Amino acid sequence: MAEFELDCMGEACPVPLMKTEKKMNTLSAGDVLVVHIDHSCAMKNVPEWARKQGYNVEVEEVDDGEWDVIIEK
Amino acid sequence: MDKKVENYDVVIIGGGAAGMTAGIYCGRARLKTLIIEKALVGGLATYTNEIENYPGFPEGSTGLGLMELFQKQAKKFGVTFKLTDVRDVRLEGKDKVVETFRNEFHCKVVIIASGGKPRLTGAPNEDKYLYDKGISFCATCDAAANTGKTVMVIGSGDAAIEEGIFLTKFASRVIVSVLHDEGVMDCNEIAKGEAMRNEKMEFLWNTTVAEFKGDDEHLHAVALKNSKTGEITDVPVDTCFVFIGYLPNTELFRGMIDMTRGGYVITNEKMETRIPGVFCAGDVRDKFLKQVATAVGDGAIAGYAAEKYIAESEMFENQIMGETPRLVYVYNAASAGDRETLSMMEQYEQCHCDLQFIKADVYKSNGIAQRLNVTQTPCVAYIRDNQVVGCVSCGDICPAAIDTLVGR
Repeated sequence: MAEFELDCMGEACPVPLMKTEKKMNTLSAGDVLVVHIDHSCAMKNVPEWARKQGYNVEVEEVDDGEWDVIIEK
Repeated sequence: MDKKVENYDVVIIGGGAAGMTAGIYCGRARLKTLIIEKALVGGLATYTNEIENYPGFPEGSTGLGLMELFQKQAKKFGVTFKLTDVRDVRLEGKDKVVETFRNEFHCKVVIIASGGKPRLTGAPNEDKYLYDKGISFCATCDAAANTGKTVMVIGSGDAAIEEGIFLTKFASRVIVSVLHDEGVMDCNEIAKGEAMRNEKMEFLWNTTVAEFKGDDEHLHAVALKNSKTGEITDVPVDTCFVFIGYLPNTELFRGMIDMTRGGYVITNEKMETRIPGVFCAGDVRDKFLKQVATAVGDGAIAGYAAEKYIAESEMFENQIMGETPRLVYVYNAASAGDRETLSMMEQYEQCHCDLQFIKADVYKSNGIAQRLNVTQTPCVAYIRDNQVVGCVSCGDICPAAIDTLVGR
């Protein structure tokens, strides 16, 4: 049950999702990945994709226009 | 892991235009309000690059920009936002529960404003290429990544054509697959005219998607089938944008509330569903026009109705119903006749001090009348042991009739 972080600040779609997919592949079940994003478009596809894979997802608004997407594999 | 329990007056499922407007009304009515949004606050409107028909913004606005203003206003009224998806709901009864992955939210009112999700074509391999792998539902999100490339748009409605025009600012070719005969589109005439004149836009008439083709990484082509000739042609593209309508997000509520065959929630004009205390607003509702402007109208009604429902529930439980004998006078304060009868009732009350006397004005909202099964005003209901013993209404109201009602 380890926690990992992925910094996608300043990156536009579809880069955050591609990075998230790659990173999630290396995680084991129960691990948590926290993705830092500041592009609103990634807020649509990253949580959507993760839920489609059956992962638990919660998003926190860290600041105006900055989010942490928390994905549990 | 036990879920953390939190209590609210109102929980709104969905943070789009309808949900946030309902939130603004509830927050302003000092109700403890929570909006749960599964992705980006703003909902479907954030997928639209330009919103030109929302009143108050003569210069137009971006969908995202407009929705940020909505959120700012909701926050101003103390509305809490939680960004996660709803896993389960229990809507019946007084104490309603909305469950997310880590929380259990208990509330008096649930407003369903869950909107829709893009409809898929259902063609083979669609699943393989969703989102970042070549099939997109958001031109605003993915246009820049397609600068100088060839893209396809599926559909001919307002969203398809308007977003297609927007895509021509980035892509070098925008190929539009239209189901209909040459020259026929589902969009408005202005968009149609503009699209037909746009040199970067090409139209493939009478076509539907037969298959999505590519390698493991990305989409390379869309195989289109001509519905007249049956001929299948591979069209090489970098990204395919699908705009063929939306499906309502209502799987969670299936079997609980009434829906159309398409899954849209059926409400009355007060946005009430079949279940007391459960309201519904916005695109998820079965209605004629789905726009930001109409979502705002729905949201306002749902928010106001939620406030009234909570106030009336409290009044009904704490004042109207009770063990001790009481008379409830249900009247419309705007009616002169009802007011006249009121003075008669007040005189009656003074002679019968042992009876509690409660006035319920239904001028603004008739929720109390409905709970008492009263259809006409004025009406006097006699309540004892938490039960309505009997009623006298309209012209029948006189001291003698009330004496009989209370058994004297």
